[in-house]
Amino acid sequence: MKYAGRRLLHGAGLLVAVSVLSFLLAQVAPGDFYSQWRGDPRISTATVAALRAQSGMARPLPVRYGAWMAGILRGDFGYSLAYRSPVAPLLKERIVATLLLTGCATLFAWLIAIPLGIWSATRTGMWGDRLSTAATSLLLAIPDLVLAIALLLLAVQTGWFPTGGKESRGYSRMGPVQQLRDLAWHMALPVAVLVLGLAPVLVRHVRAAMLETLDAPFALSARAQGIPRRRLLFRHLLPAALNPLVSLCGVSLGTLLSASLLVEVAMGWPGLGPLFLEAVMARDFAVVLAVVMLSAVFLVLGNLAADLVLYRIDPRIRTVDG
Amino acid sequence: MLIFRYFAPVLLVLSAAAYGQPGDAFIVSGIAGRSGGTLVFAQRNEPKSLNPAVAADSASREVMHRINADLIHINRETQLTEPALAKSWTVSSDGLHYVLNLRKGVRFSDGHSFDADDVVFSFRVYLDEKVLSPQRDLLLLEGKPIAVRKLDAYRVAFDLPGPYAAAERLFDGFVILPRHILERPYLDGKLAEAWGVRSPADQVVGLGPFRLKQFVPGQRVVLERNPYYWKLDKEGTRLPYLSEVDFVFAGSEDMQVMRFQTGESDVISRPSARNFAVLQKEGERRGYTLKDAGPGLEYSVLFFNLNDSPAAGNAPFHRESFRRAVSLAIDRDAIVRLVYQGRAAALSTPVPPGDKAWVNDKLPRIVRSIPQAKQLLSADGFSWAPGGSLLDPAGKPVEFSIVTSAGNSERVQMATLIADDLKPLGIAVHVTPLDFASLLNRVFQTHDYEACLLSLSEADADPNTDMAVLLSSAGNHLWQPEQKTPATPWEAEIDGLMRRQMVTRNRVQRKQLFDRVQAIVMDKLPMIPLVSPYILVGARNDLGNFRPALLDHYALWNIEELYWRGGRD
Repeated sequence: MKYAGRRLLHGAGLLVAVSVLSFLLAQVAPGDFYSQWRGDPRISTATVAALRAQSGMARPLPVRYGAWMAGILRGDFGYSLAYRSPVAPLLKERIVATLLLTGCATLFAWLIAIPLGIWSATRTGMWGDRLSTAATSLLLAIPDLVLAIALLLLAVQTGWFPTGGKESRGYSRMGPVQQLRDLAWHMALPVAVLVLGLAPVLVRHVRAAMLETLDAPFALSARAQGIPRRRLLFRHLLPAALNPLVSLCGVSLGTLLSASLLVEVAMGWPGLGPLFLEAVMARDFAVVLAVVMLSAVFLVLGNLAADLVLYRIDPRIRTVDG
Repeated sequence: MLIFRYFAPVLLVLSAAAYGQPGDAFIVSGIAGRSGGTLVFAQRNEPKSLNPAVAADSASREVMHRINADLIHINRETQLTEPALAKSWTVSSDGLHYVLNLRKGVRFSDGHSFDADDVVFSFRVYLDEKVLSPQRDLLLLEGKPIAVRKLDAYRVAFDLPGPYAAAERLFDGFVILPRHILERPYLDGKLAEAWGVRSPADQVVGLGPFRLKQFVPGQRVVLERNPYYWKLDKEGTRLPYLSEVDFVFAGSEDMQVMRFQTGESDVISRPSARNFAVLQKEGERRGYTLKDAGPGLEYSVLFFNLNDSPAAGNAPFHRESFRRAVSLAIDRDAIVRLVYQGRAAALSTPVPPGDKAWVNDKLPRIVRSIPQAKQLLSADGFSWAPGGSLLDPAGKPVEFSIVTSAGNSERVQMATLIADDLKPLGIAVHVTPLDFASLLNRVFQTHDYEACLLSLSEADADPNTDMAVLLSSAGNHLWQPEQKTPATPWEAEIDGLMRRQMVTRNRVQRKQLFDRVQAIVMDKLPMIPLVSPYILVGARNDLGNFRPALLDHYALWNIEELYWRGGRD
């Protein structure tokens, strides 16, 4: 409990630091939401000035920060000047889409990475391992955006996949099976990009962790005792290799909200990414800050969950803590 | 059968009454089409609001104008005004009083009757200082508001505080709001929040050809046919022909292009020249046609910071000779060729050639000439260092940076070409792309820049829209905004000419005044006109009545007339 409390306090401190920094950065960024209105010849400077005053931009910085933080603690993420609406309902719709995408991608990436990493580790130096290492190196070297463009080109040339969006027209009139198929069809390319970006990192970590345990004296002893290979790998070696993987899993969970932002923009997925980018460009800071804070909360919670799991499964941490 | 024969005329009269009196319907002149089908239009961003009183972004306007209608409309094809919800109007001899006669029997998309109360309410909202509608300033003439009075249920008077040429053009874009829906939120001070993206579809009500059916955040807005629309075709069929319009949000121009290419959208509006060329290659195979409508009302300019700010200081661009030399050194034809692949017009006036009625075509065409540019500079005391660098009259090397919008690759390319063009003059130019908000902040707030490359877009083919840029007191007087008194005699002369053309009702005299304004701008060159891109659009081959326009809403301006030739579900 003491350990969990300390980690929680650490996370809360981190969130306060993120909130102060992001709020300050938003304020020092050149221009504000109404800067773009200044470029519209239909709108006079007096009207823009009145709108600025109406939106409370003229209040001192600490007052604005205080009001914003008080709102966040009440679950009110502020008011979007672009949408003329509270931010929370805007985010709710987008978060679902983002989590759907990243959740599936993370799951698939882990499902690929664990067996492939173990398989690769048990065949060190053999052609299979070399092929796997070369493929992961290549994928690691290709930026997600390039992968996205390549897959979009495939969609344009073949017509096999849609070039954006989450649902087809008339989605609400489809039956559940048809809806699921339609959703999967739209998700295929963005999920593929995310999996191809994430899986190589995971494969490498799993392989490295397994290699370390494979060479450990206890593994040698177990092998000498004639424990069957499959049982040895999954019952004895994998649990011993879990520590770094649990930490990595925490990061995976923590980045569920933020990992796909660029891919969403590039592939027209209606998640937080396009909303966030548009808000940054338009200086709609309430939306920007809300997305940053939510991403930070996810990251803190993901890491906290990993820490707690590690605490539970690794007695060494409990000893150090105690 | 007998019963039907007796009652058929009664039924016809009843249905006419339900949907508006035939005498008051607007008959469109396009080819009569066939009803049904959905049109999919991919636009870059999602609308932020469907509230005409507060929305300012182009994505919202694109959708809103399909749901709403105005009193007097500018026909995008003829560029002339035509009756819309006002079937006719009269003007007093002094041009200060307009009386608009409204169509009778017109209904909002929820079936509620439209009358003068809706008009008075709408303009009350637009003029309200608390609402701060982005369109409010258009209804202020020299700071004074236009007064709106109800004369009877179908007549409304507009009293102008001063003479205003072509005042009927002002009405375009001021869509009529439903008093029965929006009066309550207005009185409660919550009008700005009304008709947001999560409003129930049946609460968003208008007089346009379509009404809101569904808004899926981040994905699409679906509009359905307004059964009460007040326009008919030549054969008496009630418009619009299309059953639904599906606005899908693509996120970027490239995604828009891909969706059009793959058939996921039916119309594309304003792709870049580069994408237009890509799309052209596959038009035949994929069943679409692209159209180049020629130069529109958008044009790009290079201007220098003429404010009394530290960034401008005693910079050489305060000298007319320097600005003229820079203009002479710019190869506009190369910009047209390399940046726009031939789909733009090189400019010699600050009015684009798309504004056919008002462009001063007597002004000489600017032909690139480095020797002439050098001659101008040396005559004004500039010299060249042994290495070829230009030195100002004080002996300081001349260099400056051009800020432009990073999100617009064409502008960045233009700035880069200009930097190259100015090398033979010995001027070092640095191109600094900035995000749009930062750019506008520098130009209009901090004045922390030396030169800027921007695009201007005239909202209407009329000189009055240029007041916001050309008047020295205007906020968009790019090179030195909001001057208390004109900084130079020629700016004072432009102010006088623009104010005179604004009140002159004789079109020939207005043209003469505006020609002189253009001549002064080209002589003093506070902004250097560069090029005007062509209006490029595309549509599926079987879309009927598709006639792109040079004014805003280029592809969908006549959406009520669009139809599928072969029929589509």
